[in-house]
Amino acid sequence: MKVSLFVTCLIDLFYTNAGKATVELLERLGCEIDFPEAQTCCGQPAYNSGYVKEAKEAMKQMMRAFADTDYVVTPSGSCAAMLKEYPHIFHGDPEWEDEAKRLAAKTYELTQFLVDVLKVEDVGASLHGRATYHTSCHMTRLLGVKEAPLRLLKHVKGLELAPLPNAHQCCGFGGTFSVKMGPISEQMVDEKISHIEEVEADYLIGADCGCLMNIGGRIERLGKPIRVMHIAEVLNQRNEKRGE
Amino acid sequence: MPMKIENGPFWKRVEENLQNDFMRGAVAGMQDRGYVRRLGVIEELGHWEEWRSLAEQIRKHTLEHLDYYLMQLSENVTKRGGHVFFAQTAEEANDYIRRITLEKQAKKIVKSKSMVTEEINLNPVLEAIGCDVVETDLGEYILQIDDHDPPSHIVGPALHKNKEQIRDVFRRKLGYDKSSDPVELARHARETLRRDYLTADIGITGCNFAIAESGSITLVTNEGNADLVTALPKTQITVMGMERIVPTFEEMEVLVSMLTRSAVGQKLTSYITVLTGPRDEGDADGPEEFHLVIVDNGRSSILGTEFQPVLQCIRCAACVNVCPVYRHIGGHSYGSIYSGPIGAVLSPLLGGYDDYKELPYASSLCAACTEACPVKIPLHELLIKHRQIIVEREGKAPVAEKLAMKAFRLGTASPSLYRFGTKFAPSAFAPFVEDGRITKGPGPLKAWTESREFPAPNKERFRDWFLDRQKGGKPS
Amino acid sequence: MTRGTIQNRDAFLQTIAERLGRAPRLSGVSRPQWDYAPQWTVFAGYSQDDLLSALREQCKLIHTDYIETTSTELAGVLKRQVAAYGGGPVIVPNDPRFAEYGLSPLLQDEWPVEQTAVHTWNPALGRKNIDAAEQANVGIVFSDITLAESGTVVLFSRNGQGRAIHFLPKTYIAIVPKSTVVPRMTQAAALIHEQIEQGALVPSCINFITGPSNSADIEMNLVVGVHGPMKAAYIIVTDR
Repeated sequence: MKVSLFVTCLIDLFYTNAGKATVELLERLGCEIDFPEAQTCCGQPAYNSGYVKEAKEAMKQMMRAFADTDYVVTPSGSCAAMLKEYPHIFHGDPEWEDEAKRLAAKTYELTQFLVDVLKVEDVGASLHGRATYHTSCHMTRLLGVKEAPLRLLKHVKGLELAPLPNAHQCCGFGGTFSVKMGPISEQMVDEKISHIEEVEADYLIGADCGCLMNIGGRIERLGKPIRVMHIAEVLNQRNEKRGE
Repeated sequence: MPMKIENGPFWKRVEENLQNDFMRGAVAGMQDRGYVRRLGVIEELGHWEEWRSLAEQIRKHTLEHLDYYLMQLSENVTKRGGHVFFAQTAEEANDYIRRITLEKQAKKIVKSKSMVTEEINLNPVLEAIGCDVVETDLGEYILQIDDHDPPSHIVGPALHKNKEQIRDVFRRKLGYDKSSDPVELARHARETLRRDYLTADIGITGCNFAIAESGSITLVTNEGNADLVTALPKTQITVMGMERIVPTFEEMEVLVSMLTRSAVGQKLTSYITVLTGPRDEGDADGPEEFHLVIVDNGRSSILGTEFQPVLQCIRCAACVNVCPVYRHIGGHSYGSIYSGPIGAVLSPLLGGYDDYKELPYASSLCAACTEACPVKIPLHELLIKHRQIIVEREGKAPVAEKLAMKAFRLGTASPSLYRFGTKFAPSAFAPFVEDGRITKGPGPLKAWTESREFPAPNKERFRDWFLDRQKGGKPS
Repeated sequence: MTRGTIQNRDAFLQTIAERLGRAPRLSGVSRPQWDYAPQWTVFAGYSQDDLLSALREQCKLIHTDYIETTSTELAGVLKRQVAAYGGGPVIVPNDPRFAEYGLSPLLQDEWPVEQTAVHTWNPALGRKNIDAAEQANVGIVFSDITLAESGTVVLFSRNGQGRAIHFLPKTYIAIVPKSTVVPRMTQAAALIHEQIEQGALVPSCINFITGPSNSADIEMNLVVGVHGPMKAAYIIVTDR
């Protein structure tokens, strides 16, 4: 099965391990990965800040880059959700509406792809430790993917998964919100971390690098002993006692 | 008080309110308990998404035919002997109500909770002509006697007050001498207000839902105050936002069910009262005269725009109760009687961008509000629309941000520019990197690094790794 | 009934029509067939007994005493309950059902004899009715329609049944004939709508009352008994 990877700007630049893990994982499950080099950014940062014209230029580039693909898979819930918005954003545009619909229809977030398309829940991963999973807002509410990550994590050998209290509450990232409304964002991320500590998790696992960058960045500043991992990295862990 | 609750910068309010530990504890507790209760009643009801879709359809249909239903409503009110005044502006509404009050030589007025009367700032107009205007909703009453402390939540306006503060206010203003036990406080309010109900000349109410087919108004309370406000005084004046209307009793019951479950997690509140006109001939209580004041005050300017869905609102505050931003900053931070997500969308529309330009940005776009809204208003999308307007039409976006977004457009529209730019990101950031992370960031990163570490860009981008791997003959 | 006045309607509705991008539409609009009707699924297929069970359970949640009895026992039960709630004064509407259900001896003889004052709402007495309601310890009414899902009694105002009876007394007792129980407000609303379609005029006040009054405005603590009654009870008459 040919899978075209949309790696996202955050992973491309800052969280390359999550990208590498995604590739290795999908290859091991029998996929042939291609990486359309012309990909840039899904457009969220500009779109969510109200810069719709600017965002649409990025979106058109994405549609060009992925025009010739079967499955577009991305290890980011919010980016997948953004791509699914393209038909709405380009509604009425004679040149781009169909392209937008085409791209949206073949876009999958990673865990969604594993469970719904590859029909796989046990990927043979193992990671020993106590973890909790962060349910990203856009992935759950906009993309509607709630079960897939948990089903996959359930099969990770040695992983003790504790439900995160107040999981439905935003971690405070929200893209530019985290810098424009810093003091408010800080309160939100501190509450999120207090809930992670409540369940005594060693690992915080998530499927959205924006959230992980936010929570992870605060964890580091506070010096908390919580290891932040992208779900792709967890699912790609094999025969290890502790993650690396 | 009018919609705007205070002058002064957004950030000053936010910073003060972030320090208010009691308020934050009260709000968080309310949200947490409410979350569980709301999910419970929704599950018990079943088919919740169908209920939401039905409620949305009812509201959309009504708005699309608003002139028709207001026509039908006014005809039916007047057939029953009630008077209808259509008020385009707040001033017109207040003028009319003042005229009635003067005509009746009224000295005391009792009011049940009405956001629209606060919006038009009715109370001071009546107080200026020598009327004693008494709020009877317990939360509004507490705020009123506390020198008009502004409401912080559209359903539970005194959420920010603790019982000790309430006891102290009662002591100072009402000669109260008992404890801070909520039962004792409520009993004292009951006794004091009882006298007011029995001696008031006019009762003023809001309107949860007007019913077009019969010329009726529906009032939803737990306290029974709206019922006493309308049963005892000789004159009743009901003020309604023009969009608060349903075609028939059948739509009223659907929306009331959505309201009570979404607002307070109850199947129904203790008192749902449908009033039609003045008292019937031969009745011994109920008003002798009934006036319905239908208020526009900027609502019509929302019709026909992308913001029209916000008029579907049934004022349940479900969005407020799930908002993670409201959780920390509280209602007063919004600077408007309408706070939380609905306030962030509505206040700039009714009050303009100058006073409320920060509100659309005080959101992480988590969409909890959109998910909770019983009438499916796409609240977070409307916040993005506001941001778009602020950027494109109002020209109020900061220059640095505009430039950054221009750079974004260039960088992401051109793959080669993108590759170029990201290739050099590591070296551009190098001066700030220590131990693989950035602790004191430059420019926009500065706000980030006030409280968080920022990762250093990897020298080897993912795409470098992938393409090298491909070249190196790795099976792909 | 003299028609009331309307002011400023034309310009107001014109503005709305303009904003909606069309000419004013002042007649000929009807409701569409709504796409969903989940309200009709609640308690669908329930028997009267099932509905009573639901009502009984709901009363526990809304701080409302629930008592079942028969028409022959009703007078005795009512007398006992009122005594348990502190006795009179009592206020009742002028309602033929009191006689039909055998309550006349209680209202006219037994209570007055033991010094429990009974006031029957009489429009001719004007304001004195309100005074009596204010002084009453217990208000007693017959429920016109009863909603099982929420534990709600529905009362239509009449000349002989003032609004104050439901709100001023300290305790509120609704006598609920089993036959008045329906699943939820959906059925009551449909009934009222049907009557309006046939040209009936709704009474000036329809109350949907669920238990005693309450408020959570002080620190979100539920306080029972605020402006309306502090205590409520439903007495179900199972053979009517």
